[in-house]
Amino acid sequence: MIRVYSFESCPFCEKLKRYLTARGVEYEVRDIELDEEAAKECEKISGDLMVPVTTIDGVNYVVGFDKKKIDELLATA
Amino acid sequence: MSVYDFTVKTKRGEDKSLADYKGKVLLIVNTASKCGFTPQFEELQKLYDDYKDKGLEILGFPCNQFAAQDPGSNDEIQQFCKLNYGVKFPIFAKGDVRGETAQPLFKYLTAQKKFEGFDMNHPVAKPLLDALQKNFPEYLEGDGIKWNFTKFLIGRDGEVVARFEPTTTPAAIAKDIEALL
Repeated sequence: MIRVYSFESCPFCEKLKRYLTARGVEYEVRDIELDEEAAKECEKISGDLMVPVTTIDGVNYVVGFDKKKIDELLATA
Repeated sequence: MSVYDFTVKTKRGEDKSLADYKGKVLLIVNTASKCGFTPQFEELQKLYDDYKDKGLEILGFPCNQFAAQDPGSNDEIQQFCKLNYGVKFPIFAKGDVRGETAQPLFKYLTAQKKFEGFDMNHPVAKPLLDALQKNFPEYLEGDGIKWNFTKFLIGRDGEVVARFEPTTTPAAIAKDIEALL
């Protein structure tokens, strides 16, 4: 399952989610502002609290809305 | 009338009089609530670290008026948001900084120091200007705040000394701050 770390009022997170939805990709949203556990996970994955972070396995991840990198990540799914 | 006549709201909703900062050099900045131009937060923190002991105070005013839009997909503009500002200077309550609904402090500051254009040598100047012309041409009219991280420098006597647009990096303001300290 694809996980997206994000928070509300992050326009790049919204763009990313719209992109994934448009591609028909299912994903789970983890809000790092509302959910402290999600924030810890996010920091563990990327070492920072920048979002969006997209990951499948919690090891390989993409920070930000970068279509090319997102496509590459999805190709590994 | 001076900046000391204004009262602003802290994040907790308490009133804070700017008169409490009398005698300090102030840098008043409208910050992005969470996104866009994030490198400026780091540079502002650097200024704060370098000059706070000499009498500088930085006051950040988050504003959502520019938050929902990003000026193009230029590589210089990072496509992510950061949860915590990671800064130690005061960040006040969120509020508007331009138009009819602008906080009185910002109406005053923009009346004191007019918009004199962007520094087109800054890498984001062109995409920012293009985005404004395309999406918010009205933002370019008049002296209102154009975008996040417009900075006003206030002297120890409360005089508004200078206005710096988002296209002037905090690091480039260091010499102006030093001149006032």
